[in-house]
Amino acid sequence: MRPLTVQTVTRASFFTRLDFRSKLWLMAVLTTLAFLWEDPLLSGLLTLSVLAACLIAGVQRAYLRLIFIALLPFAAFMLLLQGFFGEALLTTRTGQTAFTSLLSFPSTWPLLGRLTLTAEGLRYGLVIVCKTLTMTLVVPLGIFTTDVNAMIVSLVKLGIPYPLAFVFSSTLRFFPLLLQEAQSIIEAQQLRGLELSRLPPLKRARVYATIAVPLILGALAKSQMLEIVLQAKAFGSAERTYLHDSELRRADYLLLIGCTGLLIAALVGYFAWGIGRLGGI
Amino acid sequence: MPQFYGGRFFGSVTVAGLDTLEYPIHRLAQQVGLVFEDPETQITATSVANEIAFPLENLGIPRAEIQARIPIALAHVGLTGTEGRPPHELSGGQKQRLAIAAALAIQPQLLVLDEPTSQLDPQGAQDIFAILRELNREQGLTLVVASHDAEALAEHANRLLLLDAGACVALETPRRLYGQVPLLERHQVRPPQVAAAFHLLREAGAPVPEIPVTLAAGLAQLHTLRAAQRLAPLPASPPSSPPAGPPLITVERLTHIFDDGLVALRDISLTLHTGEYILIAGENGAGKTTLVKHLLRLLTPTSGSVIAFGQDTRALTVSTLARRIGYVAQNPSHQLFNTTVANEVAFALRYLDYSPAEIAERVAANLAALGLAAHAETHPLALPQGDRARVVIAAILALEPEVIIFDEPTTGQDYQGARAILDLSRALHATGKTIVVITHHLYLMPEYAERMIVLGEGRLLLDAPLREAYHALPTLHTSHLIPPQIVQLSRDLCPEHTLLTPAELVACLTQEPPPCAR
Repeated sequence: MRPLTVQTVTRASFFTRLDFRSKLWLMAVLTTLAFLWEDPLLSGLLTLSVLAACLIAGVQRAYLRLIFIALLPFAAFMLLLQGFFGEALLTTRTGQTAFTSLLSFPSTWPLLGRLTLTAEGLRYGLVIVCKTLTMTLVVPLGIFTTDVNAMIVSLVKLGIPYPLAFVFSSTLRFFPLLLQEAQSIIEAQQLRGLELSRLPPLKRARVYATIAVPLILGALAKSQMLEIVLQAKAFGSAERTYLHDSELRRADYLLLIGCTGLLIAALVGYFAWGIGRLGGI
Repeated sequence: MPQFYGGRFFGSVTVAGLDTLEYPIHRLAQQVGLVFEDPETQITATSVANEIAFPLENLGIPRAEIQARIPIALAHVGLTGTEGRPPHELSGGQKQRLAIAAALAIQPQLLVLDEPTSQLDPQGAQDIFAILRELNREQGLTLVVASHDAEALAEHANRLLLLDAGACVALETPRRLYGQVPLLERHQVRPPQVAAAFHLLREAGAPVPEIPVTLAAGLAQLHTLRAAQRLAPLPASPPSSPPAGPPLITVERLTHIFDDGLVALRDISLTLHTGEYILIAGENGAGKTTLVKHLLRLLTPTSGSVIAFGQDTRALTVSTLARRIGYVAQNPSHQLFNTTVANEVAFALRYLDYSPAEIAERVAANLAALGLAAHAETHPLALPQGDRARVVIAAILALEPEVIIFDEPTTGQDYQGARAILDLSRALHATGKTIVVITHHLYLMPEYAERMIVLGEGRLLLDAPLREAYHALPTLHTSHLIPPQIVQLSRDLCPEHTLLTPAELVACLTQEPPPCAR
């Protein structure tokens, strides 16, 4: 099996050259904006910009597709939920009482009778979907473009104790390994004649549950081995030095200033003029 | 590392004057470099330079000093110029060399290596031992190596410590210890093949003044013996290539390219027949496992096709094929996912519409056949490595497959364990199963396999009867394989004598002539 790593973006770009501290600030600002803005246009623009940045940075399209597919059921649920039941929430938050009806079921229908799909609810559902997408996409943008060692050095420079930074980076590295392990267990089960696609959903879920035990046992064995390896490499000595330094360069300062400017502008716009507020709907 | 493991500890161990109970491990790490068996688990960094720097950073060595030590450590193991590469792009042998370089960079007084070559191809293993010998001779570094590689230890070690069941049996030079073949047999340790052969020769009455333990010493003695003895012709061994049964699996012009562009297999064509016992060998990364994964449909061809039992595998599912082709993976632990041995064997049967009574009956029969009846209710992962492999085999046999593939069954096993699994494969072969074994431990296979397929860099380099293949030295060399010492002795004895085992060598040297036409 081919090895997996966290840094899946190997091609050098503006993003891979940035210091992890600037990327962290970028991630924080983008996440704050995603939280703040509840206007469909601004939220949508933000999501599209982050998506474009991911593509420019070289995040694999297959991975992005996976995110979209994984979020699809959530998006559909959110749109339906807000579309049909969002009125009460919108009334509480904006005082709005008149809604544009797009579709309503005849009152004679059981369960669905008198349900109304509103344009405002749908738009609010869309905003939530955009928020979720933005917050999901900043992770590959910041993490996948950073070498784990560079990440550790940057975190330590930020004042985070080294063992904590190491645990954080090890966790990131452990995820692809766990996925690989899960895949190999599923493979082993198929090799014993198990045909997952032919099983009824409940039985299939039960088979998936059986993967947990060997997965956890395997992870424990691996982490125990890792502990021995780390001890043998003198991990845990008091004074530590670093081979590489982490320095903020011009591009980093530009990004930090740009992000801070954007954040201030967005906050001022939001609180002073209501730009991006839900009331705009 | 007495602090790390549980249990009771008596006596004391001092390393470079430091009591291992009193000093923390990171303090001991300055004196002792450790290299482990699995090259994957011991690498923690994302570049070669960072891997070497990691322990030095932990020890608080100044940056300038770390930068100076990296190229020196890499030069010692022949990895100069790889500083910026990600370790996962290195071959297995290179990874192990990197692990040694990282241990060397600490400048320890002692380097401890736990089975450092067991997962490497023979050439990779030989390179590691050559590096270790140089470090020992040139740098005066003390080395402690735990290994099953008798031939390499005989060649390189100064002293051997023979342990059995936790007790020290002997501490001798290789010449003295490996010369005592009966003692080794008693303790289930494999002697170098040359020692085993000369021990047999001596028992057959040939004048062998001292049992040679290295190939060079063996060749020298052989010359003396040859002058005194006359060679018998090649003993009548069973035909290497029995009449082949009908084709079971046909691979046609198979090429596989992974998503990242790596070409793993190039234009492979071959046919497996019913009832064959086939050995697949080749260097680490030659494409052996990739090839068998195509037979199981775990991978599908980028181009070309695999026809199994008359059908293109693209039209079949992994699980349908699994009922006819059993696969024992390199690490059996990865194939165990049930909570008891009995459940493990029953797993496949539950999806095959058997009644509970039939399942119980078949489970009991399979467990009994593999000597696992006493462990029916044990957790599979609580068993030793060799028994785990047997559990996987029992679980696979429940499906009654026609073909069984063993992927590196001897890796991580001691000699007895390896022989036990191969004996089982032979027993299954005798019942009419088609057997495929992947291994680069060639010395183990003459008693089992009939046909050998050699892969190198994704290409089919050789597909021949075993005897012919073992003597195709240039091809073996290309794919980083080293023939057993008997093959090398036999080449020296007489080119027409394509011998494979110590017993054949003995027969050749002690039987009555006609003389070899050399």
